[in-house]
Formats: sequence, structure tokens, C-alpha cells
Amino acid sequence: MPDPPARDEDLVRRYLSGDRAAFAALVERHERRVYNLALRMTGREEDARDAAQDTFLTVLRKLSSFRGEAAFTTWLHRVTVNACYDLLRKRQRAPLLERGEDDLPAREPPPAPDHADASSLSMDVQQALLQVPEDFRAVMILHDVHDLRQEEVAAIVGVPIGTVKSRLHRGRIALARAMGIEQRERFEDAEGPPTSGGSHGATPGAPRSGERADAAGPSEGTVSP
Amino acid sequence: MSHPDDLLADYVDGTLAERERAAVDAHLTGCARCSVEVRQAEAAKAALSELEDVPVPFGVTGPVLAEAGRRFERRPGVIWGRFQWAAGLAAAAALVLVVALNLGGEDAQNAAAPERTAADAGGTGAAGAEAATPGVIPFAGLERQTGVSYDEAGIHAVASDAAGAVLAAEDAGGSQAAFASTVPDSKERTSLARDCIDQSGVRGPNDVLIRLIEARFEGTPAFIGVFAEGPGAGQAPDHIVVFVVARDDCRILSTASQRIPPG
Repeated sequence: MPDPPARDEDLVRRYLSGDRAAFAALVERHERRVYNLALRMTGREEDARDAAQDTFLTVLRKLSSFRGEAAFTTWLHRVTVNACYDLLRKRQRAPLLERGEDDLPAREPPPAPDHADASSLSMDVQQALLQVPEDFRAVMILHDVHDLRQEEVAAIVGVPIGTVKSRLHRGRIALARAMGIEQRERFEDAEGPPTSGGSHGATPGAPRSGERADAAGPSEGTVSP
Repeated sequence: MSHPDDLLADYVDGTLAERERAAVDAHLTGCARCSVEVRQAEAAKAALSELEDVPVPFGVTGPVLAEAGRRFERRPGVIWGRFQWAAGLAAAAALVLVVALNLGGEDAQNAAAPERTAADAGGTGAAGAEAATPGVIPFAGLERQTGVSYDEAGIHAVASDAAGAVLAAEDAGGSQAAFASTVPDSKERTSLARDCIDQSGVRGPNDVLIRLIEARFEGTPAFIGVFAEGPGAGQAPDHIVVFVVARDDCRILSTASQRIPPG
């Protein structure tokens, strides 16, 4: 019977005590998770690639200070999310002249995701996801896409569990609105066109479909900054 | 009416205790706002759960593993140095400092458990050495121009610009302005780009980095290193050499050189 795979923490210890292959094993084990998290956060293959490289370089630099107080995966996710935030911030800061035609500023409607193998449905979802504010997007991706428990998401993002629940709920609503789901809800509930108004199905102050997510985003008082 | 906002995420996840779930169900029968929100959240959760992982493209982790290999070569010094530091030997303390400088700065924003080291305060040792070379423009960090694709003529133009800048710096008599790095990138990425160029083996012993660009070369993602080259160590540069290497595997894509006219 083969040995069970080594724990991440054991691989870290092995690397620090001189096992060169242990870091490669860690990268191989987690590259898919890191890359896909970055892809969902940034929406672009180019940015996901950069964020994944930045993540593993940071991990490499910080491994010696990793004390195992948090699970390695928690720490890895935290570094990845931070790398994405950094990258998204840089993209916002880049002056217009530095940008090419495929480097649209993040605060305008986002570019279509460029991973070619996605279905049109998942591309729609991805595009809508980019309209959800970053803090909410991160929580949703970690919980709803990567199936991490709320407690672990709280540890990764560094907020109380109540804030995770709140961001999760408000983020999901913002995503649904960005996907135009609210329009269908209104239509079905009111049994009339979306413009009829006054339906019990309409959320007060709800944005039109396609409206910017920041404006449309979570606005109901339960959200922590 | 007060809404059970703090319970709705768990309600949609299906993780509420039976009693709480019953309470939310009772609320939803009379609250259109929460009913719509729950349906929206359920639809969003379902859509997200259908997002599938995509394979990692070739070349994403290659440069990282190459960097890990280079670091590994230096590791015995780190371990030995720490041991001696614990023993209180002053010579070993100096070694630890040198090794820390070689490892480069830390990026505090990414620090899960930030530890300030000598490297944080000092930046990279290598950059300091380059800045001290006479007639050389100090290196200011990686410039990211990911929307720009250079061709051969563009690379030659970069070399000519650099030669002109070195001349201007010499004329200015010591007040050497760095190339404007409008979007300075992380130290990690800068280090990655430098190492990629070093790894390609093209850099000569007297080449001093003055500018580093991440862009494309004829469509291929690339790092462009601009070096001032002097006749000997510490002497004023007389040439600019530009090396273009592929970002994914650090192979050489192009080079250019430009003589710096005597001032």
C-alpha cells in the first residue's frame, strides 16, 4: 500500500531542512488552486498568471517565517488574495498611456474573460463576478467556488465570521443583479414586464441590469468595510 | 419589520439549525424583500458552483521553481549563519546580514506574519551597488508595459534612449535621475525579471542594470533589460546593451547595443 501523501506542513519543514524537491511538490500540489483563484479574482489569464507567480514567489520568501499557526492552505490563500488585490490596484493606478487596448481600467465595465475553454455560461458568470466589489468577490469565490468553510474564509480574509456571512450574502445578491437575475425575478413575480413597477418582487432601489456593480453593490447596512 | 440578514447566507448554504431555518421560513412567507434576496443568492451560488477549474497554462510556475533552485543553493549559508548567531558569534551575525540582503526586500503587503529585517530597510544590496557605479543611472524598478509589443526597431530605440540618458546624466554631473518608473512593480516581480535575464547567461561581468521593462516582443511576453557596459569594473560605461528574454522560459529573443559617444 502506498504511503499517504505528505501534509503541506511536512513539506514546508522538509524544504526548510534541506529537501529541495519539497517546494516543487508544494507548488505542483497547489498551482491549480492558486491559478484558478487568481483567474476568478482578476478575470484575465494574463493577470492570473502574474498573480500566481507573485504568490509563489512570496511563499518562497516567507516560508522560513511560516510557523504553522495557521494551516498552510489558509496562508497560501491569503497570499494569493493579497497578490490579486495588489495586481488589481496596480491596474487601476496604471496611467492611460501605459495601458494597451487589452488593459482596460478596472473601474469601467470589465473586459471579457479570455480563457478560451470556458463555456458561455461560465463566461457570463465570470464577467458578472468582475462587477462585484473585490472584498465581496473574494469571499464568494473562496466559499462558493472553492468550497472553503466560512470559518476558513474568515481566517484567510482576516475578518470576523459575521462579516464573511454578510459579504457572502450581499455579494451573491450583487452577482445575481449583475447577471440580470433580478430582472427575471421581477418579471416572474409581477407577472408583467419589468417596467411595470410596484411588484412585491422588486427590491427597492435595485439597479438596472448591466448597471455598475459598485453602485449596485451591497448597500444594506450589515456590511463591514 | 426586522430582517434576518445575518442568517440568510447560512440559509442559502443550508447550514442553519432546524429552529433557525423554521424562523427564516416563517419570515420569508411575509417578506418580499428577503424572498427575492434569497432567490437571487441561491441563483448566484448555483452559478458559482458550476464554474470549473481551468488547467494552469504552461510556464506559470517554471520561473518560480527556477528561483527556488537558485535560493536553495544559498540556503546552507542561511542555516549555518543562524546557528552561529544563536551561539553569539559576531562574524556569523555579519553573514546573516549579508544573506538577508541577498535575499532581497520583503513585501509587507503580502506578509502573513510580517517580520522586519535588515532587508526591509535597505532594499536590495545589488541595486545599491549598481547605483554607486560612476556614470550609471540608478535602477528604479521594473516598469510594466504589458500592453506594448516591441519589435527590433523598438528595442534599438530603447538602446538609443538609454545612451542619451546616460550622456545626459554625465552632463548633469552626478545628479543622476533614474528612468521614470511610472508603475513600479513589486520587489518579487522585479527580482523575477532580473533573475530571468541573468539566467539567460547574456549579461556580461561589467554590465550594470539601469532599466527593466516587462512588455511583449513581437507578441511574446518578455522582459527587456537595459544595461550600461563599461570597459572594466567601476569604470564609466561606453555602451548600452539591451537583452530581450522570453518571460516564460528566459530564452533570448533579441539583443541590441548602442555606443555611448564620449562626452
